[in-house]
Amino acid sequence: MGSSPPPVLQGQDLSFSVGQRVIFDGINIETYKNELVSIIGPSGVGKSTLLRVLGMFVRPTRGRVLLHGEEVTRPTPRIALVHQSIATFPWMTALDNVKLALQGRGLSKEEMEERARRALEVVGLSGFERFYPKEMSGGMRQRVAIARALAGDPYVLLMDEPFVHLDELTAERLRREIYDILFSEGSTLESVVLVSHNLNEVVELSDRVYAMRGSPARIVGELTIELERPRNQYNPIFSEYVSELYSMLSIGE
Amino acid sequence: MYGGLIIAAAALATFARVLAMMGLSIVTGWLLGYASLRSRGFESAYIPAIAVLESVPVIGFFPLVLIIFVERIGGPLGVEMAADFLVFDAVVWNIWVGIYQAFKTVPRDLEEVADNYGLGFLGKMRKLYVPYSIPRIAANLFPSFADGLFYIMASEVISVGVHTYEVFGIGTLLTGYVAGGQMAGIYYSILAIGVGVVGFMTLFRYFARASVAKYGLDTAAQIRRRERPAPRLGSSAWVTLARPMRRLSRYAASAVLASVARPVRSVSGRAPRLARAAGYAIGIAILGYIVYSSYRLIAAVPAATWSELLSDTPAMLYALAVDYGRVAVITGASFAISVLAGYYLATHVRASAIVIPAVQTIAAFPPPAYFPLIYMATYTYMDALPGGIGAEVYVFILGFLSTFYYVFFSFWMGVQSIPVEFWELMDNYRLGFWERLRRVVLPATLPYRVSGISSTVNSAWGGLMVGEYWPGVVPGRNLEVNVGLMKLLDVYVSQGYLHRAAWASLLFGAVVAVYSLLFTERLMNLSRSRYVVEEGIFAA
Repeated sequence: MGSSPPPVLQGQDLSFSVGQRVIFDGINIETYKNELVSIIGPSGVGKSTLLRVLGMFVRPTRGRVLLHGEEVTRPTPRIALVHQSIATFPWMTALDNVKLALQGRGLSKEEMEERARRALEVVGLSGFERFYPKEMSGGMRQRVAIARALAGDPYVLLMDEPFVHLDELTAERLRREIYDILFSEGSTLESVVLVSHNLNEVVELSDRVYAMRGSPARIVGELTIELERPRNQYNPIFSEYVSELYSMLSIGE
Repeated sequence: MYGGLIIAAAALATFARVLAMMGLSIVTGWLLGYASLRSRGFESAYIPAIAVLESVPVIGFFPLVLIIFVERIGGPLGVEMAADFLVFDAVVWNIWVGIYQAFKTVPRDLEEVADNYGLGFLGKMRKLYVPYSIPRIAANLFPSFADGLFYIMASEVISVGVHTYEVFGIGTLLTGYVAGGQMAGIYYSILAIGVGVVGFMTLFRYFARASVAKYGLDTAAQIRRRERPAPRLGSSAWVTLARPMRRLSRYAASAVLASVARPVRSVSGRAPRLARAAGYAIGIAILGYIVYSSYRLIAAVPAATWSELLSDTPAMLYALAVDYGRVAVITGASFAISVLAGYYLATHVRASAIVIPAVQTIAAFPPPAYFPLIYMATYTYMDALPGGIGAEVYVFILGFLSTFYYVFFSFWMGVQSIPVEFWELMDNYRLGFWERLRRVVLPATLPYRVSGISSTVNSAWGGLMVGEYWPGVVPGRNLEVNVGLMKLLDVYVSQGYLHRAAWASLLFGAVVAVYSLLFTERLMNLSRSRYVVEEGIFAA
C-alpha cells in the first residue's frame, strides 16, 4: 500500500474488552477517499462496538483512531454516526432535527436553516421540513437522520445497519439512492463505514469489505469489490462476491 | 436501655401496619386490575376514579376518616381502622396503577398462549397476570413504603377537641417522647425507625432485582394495549441501578408512555357477559356509594351550619391560595436542585451507584420523625427572623424534605430513559450542558416530570399539613404559620370543629382534583403527544 493515497480514517491495533472478556483484538482498519467500506460478521461479534470505537463513542481498551492522520480522542461532528435504531427527536421537526448538527458552529439562524434545508433536499425530503418524525415513515425518518449526519459536514460517516428496521422495499430504494446521496456534489464526505450482516447489501454498496469473526474477534479477511454501479444482484459476479464473503465468515465452522 | 423493648415492639407494629396495607393494596389491585381487563365498563369507572382520588392528598381524607371511623365506629378498633385507612390511602394508588398497567401491557403473544391452553381466571392470574405484575409491584414498594411511613407518623395520634385517640406504634411513642422532652426516647425511636427503614429498603431492593431477573421481559414482544402513564410514574424511579431494573424501566416506559390511544383490541369483546355485567355493577355501586354518602352528609348538616360554612369559605379559599404558593415554591426549589443533581447522577454511573440507594433509604425515613431535632437545633436562629418568616422557613424545610425525592427520582428516571442513541448524538454534535438540557434532556423528561407532579404536590401538601400547625413541636413551643389551609384543617380538627374541617377538606379536594384534571392532565396529554422519548427510536 506504499503508493496508496493517505487514509481518511485509521483504526490502529484496536482492542476492546468488557471486564475480563475480550470482544475484539488487534483490529486494523483503514478507509480511503470516496470509499464505502463495510464490516461484516456474525451477530454479537462486536461490529457495532467497533463502529463506535471508530467514532470514539466508546474508548478502546487498546489502540487508537486517526482522522486524516490526527488522533481522535472524543466524538466529533467530523465523524458522524447513523444508528441502527433510527434516532430522531420526536419533539423536533425534520428541519430542527437536522439543525441540531449545526449547533455551536457560529452560524446565523438563516444560515443554519438554509444548510438544514439543503441537507433535507439532498436526501429527497424537500417539502417535509415541518413534519414531525411521528408523521413520517421509517424510511423518511432514516433520511432525516442521514440528512442530519451530512449537515454537520463530516469527513466520515459511520452507519450501523441503517436499513435493518426498514421494510424490504423501502430499504431497497434507499440502498439504491444512498451511494449517490452520500457522495453527492458539494458533500464533504470522504468515506463511509457500514456495518451490516446482510451480505447482498454489502456487495451492493461497498468498495471494500472487512470480515470479522472469532472470540475475541479479529479481521479474518478483506475483499475489494470491483463491480460497476449500479449493481445488480442477479449478476453472477455479484453472487460470487456474496459467496466469497459467506466463505470468509464460515471458515472453520 | 430506654424502654428498648417497647420501642422495638412499637416500631414493629408501625411497620406491620404499613406492610399489611401494602399487602392489601396488592391483592385488591390484582382483583381490580383483572376486573378492569374483563370489563370496559368497570375500567371506565376504575381509572378515572383512581385519577381523582389519587390527586387528592391523603390529608384530604382526614376529617372524613375521623367522622367514619373514630366517631361512628369508635373505640380502639375505630382508631386502628382510621390509622390503617390513612396508610392504605397513602400506599394504594401507586400499587393499583402499577398493577393495572402491568395487566394492560401483558404481551398479546402470552395471552394467546394462555387462551390456547384454556386457562381460566385462577390459571391466568397464577401463570400470567400475577407474575407479570411482580416487577411493577416491586418497583412501587419503595415509594409506597415511604408514603405509608410518612403518614403513619401523623396518623397514629389523632386529637379531636379534648379527646386524643392513639394506636400503639412508634409514631405515638415518638409524639409522647417529644412532648415530654425525653431525648433518649426520641433518639432510640429514630434509631428503631432507621433500622427498620434500612432493613426493609434493602429487602425491597433485593426483591426488585430478583423479581426483574425472574419475571422481567427482555424481548421486544409486541405489547397489546397501551394505556395512560402512571400518575406516579416517577415512583418507578425508585428502582435500583441494577441493570435488569433499568431494562425494566425502559421497557415499562416504552410500553406505557408510548401512546395513550385507547386499546386497539380490548379483551372485553371476548369477556363473558357475566363478567362484563359484574364490572358495570361494581363501577355503578362505587359511584352510587359516593353519591349516597355525599347526600347523607349534606342532609345531616343543619341550615345554620351551612350558612356558617359558606361565610368561612372565602377565608378558606384565601388560605388555600397561600398554600398553593408554598407548594409552588417547594416544588420549584426541588425541581431546580433535582435537574442539576439528577442529571449529574444519571450521567455518572459510579456516583449514582452509591448515591441513589442512599437517597432511597433516606427518602423512606419520615421527615416528621426527625424534624423536631432540626427544630430544636435551629429555632433560636429562626426566632431572630422578622414576622412569621421563621415558621415559613420551617414549613419550607418540611415540605422540601417530603417532596424533593419525588421530583428528583422523576427527573432522574426520565434522564435514565433517554436512549443511548440520543446521548451519542449529543456527543457527536458536541452539545454543551445547557444545549443538552434545553434541546434534549428537559423535553425528553417531560412525561416523567409531569407524572411526578401529582406525587410531588401530594407530598408537599403532606409536609404543609404537618408543618403549618404543630403544637408542642418541642416542649413549650408551637410551630405555626399565619395563614394556611392546612393549618386551618389542623386547628379545626384539634378543636373538634369536624364539620368545618370536613368542609375545608371538601373544598381542598375539589380544587386539587379540578387542578389535577385541568392542568396536570393537560400537561400530560401534551407530553404524551410529542415528548415521548421512546418514540424517537424507530425500530420496527
